[in-house]
Amino acid sequence: MALKRQSAQWPWQGLLVVILLGLAIGLWIATKQVNYEWRWERVPQYFAYQDEEPQTAPFAGAVIKISPAGDSSQVTIQPEKGGPPVAITVETATLKVADGAQVSEDDEIGATRHWRVGPLTQGLWVTIWISFISGFFGMIIGLITGLCRISKNLTLRGLAVLYIELIRGTPLLVQIFIFYFFIGTVLHLDRIVAGIGALSLFVGAYTAEIIRAGIQSIPKGQSEAARSLGMSAAETMIHIVLPQAFKRVLPPLAGQFISLIKDSSLVSVIAITDLTKSGREIITSSFATFEIWFTVALLYLLVTSVLSQLLFWLERRFARSD
Amino acid sequence: MIEVKKLIKIFEGRGQVVRAVDDVSTQVAKGEVVVIIGPSGSGKSTFLRCLNGLEEFDDGQVIIDGIDIAGSKTNLNAVRREVGMVFQHFNLFPHKTVLENVTLAQRVVRKRKPAEALDKAMALLTKVGIAEKANEYPSRLSGGQQQRVAIARALAMDPKVMLFDEPTSALDPEMVGEVLDVMKQLAREGMTMAVVTHEMGFAREVANRVLFMDAGKVLEDAPPAQFFTAPKELRAQAFLKQVL
Repeated sequence: MALKRQSAQWPWQGLLVVILLGLAIGLWIATKQVNYEWRWERVPQYFAYQDEEPQTAPFAGAVIKISPAGDSSQVTIQPEKGGPPVAITVETATLKVADGAQVSEDDEIGATRHWRVGPLTQGLWVTIWISFISGFFGMIIGLITGLCRISKNLTLRGLAVLYIELIRGTPLLVQIFIFYFFIGTVLHLDRIVAGIGALSLFVGAYTAEIIRAGIQSIPKGQSEAARSLGMSAAETMIHIVLPQAFKRVLPPLAGQFISLIKDSSLVSVIAITDLTKSGREIITSSFATFEIWFTVALLYLLVTSVLSQLLFWLERRFARSD
Repeated sequence: MIEVKKLIKIFEGRGQVVRAVDDVSTQVAKGEVVVIIGPSGSGKSTFLRCLNGLEEFDDGQVIIDGIDIAGSKTNLNAVRREVGMVFQHFNLFPHKTVLENVTLAQRVVRKRKPAEALDKAMALLTKVGIAEKANEYPSRLSGGQQQRVAIARALAMDPKVMLFDEPTSALDPEMVGEVLDVMKQLAREGMTMAVVTHEMGFAREVANRVLFMDAGKVLEDAPPAQFFTAPKELRAQAFLKQVL
C-alpha cells in the first residue's frame, strides 16, 4: 500500500455547501425577524441614472412637422415672424406638442435624456484615486524611510524609527483627525490634501518596515560582489539590492496597498465623499440601509480582488529569473 | 603589486575577541600566483577579504599597486575596480542574465558603451567556455558554470589582480576541474593572483608561493615544491598529513 492515500473529497464539499446554505438561510430568517423590506430595485439608480433635460421653443411659431426616428423625434417649428424653420430633437415619450400646434416662446416641447454618473460610482472613483495617489506617495515615503532606517547615520536612523513608531502606535482615525484639524489648519490644507497626506504617511510607515525587511533579506554576498566590482554603495543599492528586494516584497507591499483601499474609507470622517461617505448619504435619502451597505462592501471587494489578481499575474512575471 | 604590512583584523562579539588576522606581512609581485592554505578558521579568507577592503581591518597597511587602500584620500571604489574577486558561493546577480552580470559593472563603473561592454563580455564568456548560456539566468546554470561566469564578471573590469576565495569549495567534485582549468589559464597568461583554496593539486601545479596560515598568522611562506615535500612547521606537517 502506498503511503500517499487518496481520500474522498465529496463529503467535505457537501459539508461546505450545507454550511454556506445554512448561513444564507440564517441571514434570510434574520431579515424576516427585523421585518425589513428589501428594495434592491432602488440600488441601480445610484450607479447611473437618466436625467431629463426639458427642451423649449426658442420663439413663438407653429409646429410644421414631427418626424420620429427611433426613440427620438425631430420637431420642426416655423417661426411666426418668418425666417427659416428650426428643428429640435426630443425623446418621443416626452413629446408635449402635436403636429400643427401653435407654440409660444419657452413652451416645453419635450425633453432629452442623458445618462448621469450616480453617487456610488462617483464615490468609488474618489476611493480609487485617493488610494492610488496615497499609495504612490506612501511608497516613496516608505522607500526613503526604509533606507534611512538601515542607514549608518544615527540622525537618519533615529528620525526614521521615531516616525515609524509614531504612526504604527496610533490609530489611523486619530491621525486623520490630527492631520485635518491641526496640520490642515496650520498649513491651510484642503480636506482632500489632508486626507491624502494622512493616508500617505500611514502607508509610508508600514511600507518602510516592509522595504527594510526586504533589503535585509538580500544575502550579504550580493552587495559584496557588487562592491568588489567597484560599485559605490548607492550604485549597489540601485542596481543590485533594490531590484531583488522589490521582487521579494511585492506580495506584502501589494497587501499593504489593498489594505489602504479599505483604510481609505476612514477619510469619510473629514467629509471627503468617498465610497463609504456616498453610501451614508444615499441611505439618508433612500432608507435602503442594508442594500446600500451590502453594495458598498461588494464594491470594495470588487476593487481589492481585481488588484489581488493583478498582483498574482505580476508575481508570475517576476518569477522568470528564479 | 600587493604589499601587506603588519595587518591585524579583530572580530569581537559575545565577550570573545578573535584575532582573525594577526600581524601578517607579505607581498605578491606582479604576475605571481600565491596560494593561501590552512585549516578552516585560520583566517585565510578574512585575510583575502582585507586585500580589497571588504573586511575593514583594525591595523596595518594594504598597498595595492602603490595605493594604500586605507589611506584617508584613497577612493576605495577606484581601487576595487583594479582588484577582481571570485567568491566561494559565486554571488552572481540572480535578477540579471549571464550577459548582464558581466556587462553591468562595465557600464556602471567603467562607463563603457553598451556595445563595447557587450563585445568584452562575449569575448570573456567565450574564453571561460560558456558563451552559449549568455542569455540564461544564473539559476539555470550548474555551480561550475556559475563560477566561470563569476570569473568572467571579475575579468570584465580588466583587473590588475584577481582574488579567489575558495572558488571550488561549493562545487560538486565533477565541476571542480572546469573552474581550475580557467584559473590555470589565467595564471599562464600572467595574471597576478591570490588564491585561498583546499585544492593542493592546483597549489602544487600553479602557485609560485604557498602561504600556510593558522590562527591568523602566516606560518610558512615557501615555493610549493619545498612546502609540500619538506614543511618546516609542525602544524603545517600535521595539516598536510590530513589533506594529502
